[in-house]
Parts: sequence; structure tokens; C-alpha cells
Amino acid sequence: MVKAQLIKQSPLRILDASTHGGVGVGNIGVLAARHGLGKTSTLVHMATDKLLQGKHVIHVTFAQKPDHTIEYYEEIFAEISKLKGLAGAMQVHDEIMHNRTVMNFEPKFGTPSHVLEGLRARIEAGGFPADLVIVDEFDFFHAKREDLKQFRDFANFEALELWFSVSLEQEGDSAPQPVPHVLEKHLAQIDVLINLRHHKDDGKVHLELVKDHGNTPTDMHLILDTKTLLISQE
Amino acid sequence: MKVPVEKMRNIGISAHIDSGKTTLTERILFYCGRIHAIHEVKGKDGVGATMDSMELERERGITIQSAATSVQWNDKFINIIDTPGHVDFTIEVERSLRVLDGAILVLCSVAGVQSQSITVDRQMKRYDVPRLAFINKCDRTGANPFRVREQLKEKLGHNAVFVTLPIGLEDKFNGVIDLVNSQAVYFEGEDGTDIKRLPIPAEYQAQYEEYRTIMLDELSNFNDDLMELHMEGKEVPVNLIKAAIRKGTISRELTAVFTGSAYKNKGVQVLLDGVNDYLPAPTEKANWALDQSKNEERVQLECADDKPTVALAFKLDDGQYGQLTYVRVYQGEVKKGQELRNMRTQKRFKIGRLIKMHSNHMEDIDYAGAGDIAALFGIECASGDTFCDDKLDLTMTSMFVPAAVISLSIEPVDKKSGDNMAKALNRFTKEDPTFRTFVDPESNQTIIQGMGELHLEVYVERMKREYKAEVKTGMPQVAYREAISEKAEFTYVHKKQTGGSGQYAKIGGYFEPTTENDYEFVNMVKGGAIPNEFIPSCDKGFKEAVKKGTLIGFPVVGVRAVVNDGASHAVDSSDMAFSTAALMAFRETYQKAKPIILEPIMKVAVEGPTEFQGNIFGSINQRRGVIVSSTEDGQFCSVIAEVPLSEMFGYSTVLRSMSQGKAEFTMEFEKYVKVPESVSIQLKKDYEEKRKAQNK
Repeated sequence: MVKAQLIKQSPLRILDASTHGGVGVGNIGVLAARHGLGKTSTLVHMATDKLLQGKHVIHVTFAQKPDHTIEYYEEIFAEISKLKGLAGAMQVHDEIMHNRTVMNFEPKFGTPSHVLEGLRARIEAGGFPADLVIVDEFDFFHAKREDLKQFRDFANFEALELWFSVSLEQEGDSAPQPVPHVLEKHLAQIDVLINLRHHKDDGKVHLELVKDHGNTPTDMHLILDTKTLLISQE
Repeated sequence: MKVPVEKMRNIGISAHIDSGKTTLTERILFYCGRIHAIHEVKGKDGVGATMDSMELERERGITIQSAATSVQWNDKFINIIDTPGHVDFTIEVERSLRVLDGAILVLCSVAGVQSQSITVDRQMKRYDVPRLAFINKCDRTGANPFRVREQLKEKLGHNAVFVTLPIGLEDKFNGVIDLVNSQAVYFEGEDGTDIKRLPIPAEYQAQYEEYRTIMLDELSNFNDDLMELHMEGKEVPVNLIKAAIRKGTISRELTAVFTGSAYKNKGVQVLLDGVNDYLPAPTEKANWALDQSKNEERVQLECADDKPTVALAFKLDDGQYGQLTYVRVYQGEVKKGQELRNMRTQKRFKIGRLIKMHSNHMEDIDYAGAGDIAALFGIECASGDTFCDDKLDLTMTSMFVPAAVISLSIEPVDKKSGDNMAKALNRFTKEDPTFRTFVDPESNQTIIQGMGELHLEVYVERMKREYKAEVKTGMPQVAYREAISEKAEFTYVHKKQTGGSGQYAKIGGYFEPTTENDYEFVNMVKGGAIPNEFIPSCDKGFKEAVKKGTLIGFPVVGVRAVVNDGASHAVDSSDMAFSTAALMAFRETYQKAKPIILEPIMKVAVEGPTEFQGNIFGSINQRRGVIVSSTEDGQFCSVIAEVPLSEMFGYSTVLRSMSQGKAEFTMEFEKYVKVPESVSIQLKKDYEEKRKAQNK
């Protein structure tokens, strides 16, 4: 399969269609899930899809070192190319990985203003025309309303899409809410919200669309394949 | 004096540049009584630190070449190899680590784990070297050894456990809390020689208890008796704690972390106690050799004096009395008057003079036992050679030697300099396997090759200072490669009739790209179309052809040459005819195989204060660099990028000026990749012009 076919047949096209064209430039998408359900894999698959389309991606993490995230990109790309028999996989890999940067902030210093300053430096001084910025494991719990507003302004100014992920550790074991508590105060700034949830009945991890801009969310029939760690059709 | 092997320690001191390792070494020498006054690296007294024995090192304030020295601390005899910190001199670090049984990893308590610390640590892992960590510069503004210990855990994956804690930090740093002996240790007197061990001050009691508990929790994994006592809340004896730390350190499952300030003379003696107590004796580390008589079968060596000798020459030094060869004795003993065999040259030699080195002073000895490090005088050999007893046919495993990535043409300014330059080059190539030299047959220029701009720069300086060889240097040249990108078939007939017997050879087959080897020859000739005796001639011809591609005159790599057909003539076919046919077949087919140009890509790590982050990103972007990742920890940012070597010339100057001298970078070879089309066109144009100029 050649790259163009791969993009066309990607299950991410279903996500785009279900969200009326995706998150969109200047907008914010959030992926919420409990720890260990596959948030990073889902985001990395979304990012790889953009990279395959020739777009530029910055992946922000809050860890001691960025190696773990880089490994995710390698694994997800290897899975996609193996599964779809991508022609010239090595060459495609080298081409697309040039357009990805992982920016790592030590948790203590990863304040929104610090992250935004780093992102601006990378995009403007570093001449990196980012189309998508992923902020993995953002601390929505401590974030203020204005913080998300700042991110939105930044996305508008730089003409890019923003995806966040949030860990629902503090949600407890009570019945899952469509909108996690931690996101309630930020909901107005969020354009697309997807919950990643494990369904006991079929044992699969489902992508549940909770907010789709101003539209009524529909069932996307997408799951995260726990074997390949790729988004796939139900 | 015969040193019992269990009382020997062979240690290295490795760190990021400017972490203070030379200062630490200087203090160790002083406290062990080897020197009688302390000189600073960039000191005002102009003497310089003792371990930086080369003039150039003193001037730059960095340690370029390892210097070996032997000291005694209490009842242990310690051989110290001071290792260089810059990646350009990595071969020196690798060579040192090879012969060591343990090491001290020096870290700056302000800058923490830096890119070079990661490289050095990876090298230590490669050679299974157990290490202690010394968090230095606790007296500096911004010192935070607790953060550095976290980085040791997170960035280097060490099970790092404090064994001493600082008493105060920055300008209030005035001693350490010894968690093993439960004492506060102060280093008084002008040079910190007056050690006072006192009860722990009340204000540090809680911190002491917290970190002692963490230490004992970790040590419980290494000693069941200790675990039991600790679980029951009973007092754990010091000897049990020391035994557990030693076990954890030697198995490389634990890194004991010491704190201090070498510059302020604090914490060094406690670290030396740690070297004695926790780092292994030569007998506690397995060493292997290759048996040449049994197809390089691995043989474990025995660290015992009564066994046949096996020793490794790990460093050469050219002093005023001739060549000095540093050896590590792995098995048996090395004695004055003894005869040994150099396994590479198979030549036997007699040991005339045997010495122990203290930086640039020496001491004559008669004997060096198994596990020891000593130096031999007047032995003709190269670095990495194995010396063996006649009964054995062993060589030590070959060292990892990376390929050279940069070259520079050099030209002596006069005849005298020319003679001296030849002597210098002969010496340097023996000392450093990553430094190579040859004469370019086309330009007739002497070319030197190495691992980076600074690497070559230092050798040019050394030629001038040590050998009085003044040379003019050309522009640094990148070691490009050429490669084929497509399969291409060939049939070539080489026919020549000049009276008498002629030349005839016909070969057919194809070339295809391969990523497995630089060059591969496959014989698929069936039915004797090419007689067997001429098959190696085809191989020889192709090998000659790939030495120099026709795009820009650099070697062609990644070629599989397959021969599957041909013809010969009973009289006119010869070795020469077939090798010429192969050479010409390659040249004729090369363009059909869509050749491309490859350039070396360096993995560059830039570190600097966060305020210069934008400048760093920009500078890499301007150099066709790809930023792989960046990490920010508040004060500092570190950027990992892949940048073509050709774009890195002069980067240190640029970086210094854009960051007020506060940012630094290291780089190492990563891979070869295809150059962009625009660069390819320019390179081809330059090559054409050069050729035209040469033909005029």
C-alpha cells in the first residue's frame, strides 16, 4: 500500500467525519481516560496520521526524559506499516519523523506559561511550522480557566490544532460521567472531547465522542486495539 | 613492594566537561600524599592541576589525555586514570574504562546530569564498570544534589542512594552527614585535612533519619540479615551496611551517592573511603580474552600472579625518554627482564624498565602483579596490543573504534617542520586509533582524519607545541560516501590485443543496494563460465572500483556485486584481465544504478540556560538540523538534534556568542543519510571544478 492509500483508508477519517472535519485550526480537543488505557498510543496514532499527510507535529510531555514518547512513535509507525504493508516504509519513516519534535518539561516546571514559551521558541525561533500540538497528560486539575484560554489564543495565533490528554486518576470508581469532573470548568474552551473507556461487556477500549463542537455527538464505532495499540473500527 | 591483589583498586574518574573531575583528582592526590600542594585547573599560580600534564590541557582547562597515577589511601592501593570529558576524545574514555574495575561519576550539583554524563554512563555500562557518584560543587549557587540524585535515577536509570548528605548548601555548605557511620563530618584546616567526626546536628536529625531509612530500605535487597534487623527496627551494624553497599555496587544494581565540593576541600576523604570499601578489587571482575588458536573462543582470565601473563597496552605516551606504554596486567605478572610476545606483530620483546606513574613523575619498580597497572619503557607497539606469555595465544577483545567523520589537509611550512610532522603523525596514530592519516594520491597532500573539529584541532596544536611542527591546514572536509540506489545489470567484455598474448575477460551480473555491508561479493556463476581461479579477480576489481565513486570521488558503500555469467579464453584470460573487466563493469554501470551521495549526520546535544532556548532552536534549524527532542527543567534546557556534520563547522563559536558563553554542545556520529538534491548538485559541481583545476 502506498502512503496516499494509507491516509485515505485510515480509521482516523472516521474520527474526522464524526467530528465534522476534526478539531480544526485554533481549536482544542481533549482525550480523557483512566491511567493505562492507551491515551498516549491514541494521540501518537493521531499524530502519525498527520505526519503521513506531510504535517508538522510537536508532542509535549511531562516526564524526566522524552525517550519513552519517541519509542511510542517508533512502535506505532512500525505497527501501521506492518499492518498495511506500507511501500518504502524506511524512507517514509525518515521523511515524516523529521517533522516531529518531542518537547519534554520536567513536571515541576511544566506550567502553562512555561510550556507556551517553549512552544513559541520552537515554532518561531526554531522555524518549525507546527500544524498540531499534543500536550500529553496535561494537569487540568490544577489548571485555571485562563490557562486554557491562553492555549486557545496561542493555537489561533499560530494557526494550529491542539490536542490534550488528561488522566482521570482523581475521578474515583463511581459510575463514569460523560464529562469528567476535572474538565467541567474547562468545557467551554474544549471543542472536541473524547473519552477512552473500557467496556466490560465486550472487553474493548472504546473511543466515545462526548463533545463535537456545537453538534450532537454520534457513536464513532472506533476502538483502541489493545494488541496493536492502534485506533481501529469496531 | 608486592601489593596484595585484594588491596588494589583500578578506578577512573569520568564526567561531563567542567564538572570538576580534574580538581577532584588533584584533591585525591593531595590527600593521598602524592603531591604536597594543591593547584587549581585554571589557577592563578599558573601551575595548573597535576593530572593535566600536557601544556595544552593546562591552557584550555580541560583534560585531553588520560594520565595514570597510583596512590595509597589507608590500606588500599589505587590506580587512577583521569579521563577526558569531551566527546571528541571519546576513544580515550573508552580505552580507560576498558581497563578499569570501577569508576567515580562526577556530577555538578548545579547542572546535574548533562548530555556528556549520559554518554560516559553508556560507555561505563558497555564495559560493566561499577560506579560511585560524587555530586560535586555543593558550594555553588543553585546547588541541588537532591535534584541531581533524582536525575541519576530518571535519566540514567541508576538505583542511586545517598550515602552522604550535604550539611548546608551553596555558601552555607560546610560538611557532610555520613549516613553509614551516622556522623557529621567536617573538613577543617586550610586544605580540609583536619577531619572532625561529630554527632549529627539536631536540625539535620530528621533529614538524616529519612535518608538513612531510604538507604537501609534499598540495602535490604542485598543482605537478608540487614533486612531482618531493619524490619525489626534494630540497630544495623556498620559492617553489614558496608557489605550490602559493596555487593550492590559490584553487581551494578546500586549507585552509592556521595556529596561534596572538591574545590572547597569537603567530602573527598569520605569518597576515598567509599572507593576502598565499595569498589571491586581486580579479582572481583571477570575479564575475557580471545583464544587465537581456537577460532577466537572466549577464555576467562584468572587474576593470579602464578598464571601465564596476559597484559593489554591501553595507552601510549611519547616522553623525553622514548615511548611509554601503559599496561593493565590481566593475568600473571610483568617483571623487569621478562620476555613477552606482542600478539599483533608476533614479535618478542624484553622488558627493560618498568615504572609506576604519578602524573608526570615516575617511580621505578621491578614487578607488577595480576590486576595492576604499570608502564613500560621503550616497547615498540600500538595502543590496544596484547602482550602474552609464549605459552598462550590470547588477545584481549578488540576495542570499539568508530569510523572517522572529518578530514583536514595539512602542509608543513618548511622542511624541518615536515620531518617533525611525520614523527608526530606516527606517534599520534599509534596513540589514538580514531586518528588516521594518509597521503592523498591525487593532490599529494597529507590528510588527517578524526572524530570532530576539536579532535583534529588539538592534534594540530600538539604538533606545533610538542614536535615544533608548524603546519598550514586546509578547510575541514566531511567524509562523504556514495551509494547506489537501484539494481543495475551489467555485461562487460575486456578485450585487448597488443601482439603476443592479449587480454580477454567477460563478466555479467548485477549490482544492487544493500544495508548489511559496505561491500559484498556474491559468486553465482554456474557451469564454469568464469574459471574458479578468476572469481577472486572479479572481487578484487570491484573492491578497487568502490574505493572511489565517480560522483564526487568518495568511497561507494552499500554495494552487493553479483557475478552470474562470463566467458574466458584459454590463453588471453588472466587475473589482471578479470579484475580490469570488473573495475570497468562497475564504472560503466554506476550511473544506471542511480548513485546518490551520503553525508555523516551527527547526534548533537546542546545544553544551556532556558533563556537561550529560542537561539539554540534557531541555530540548529539554520544548519539543516532536525530537532528530535528537547527537555526543560526550569533553569536548563537540553536539545537533542541530528545535524549534518558539514553544517557544524564553527558551531562552538556561534553557540558561545549567542549564549554569552553559557551554552555548550557535544556531538557524536549517528548515521549516514542521503544529502538533499541542492547539496548534491553543489558537491558534484565542486568536484568537477576541482578535477578541472587538477587537470590543468
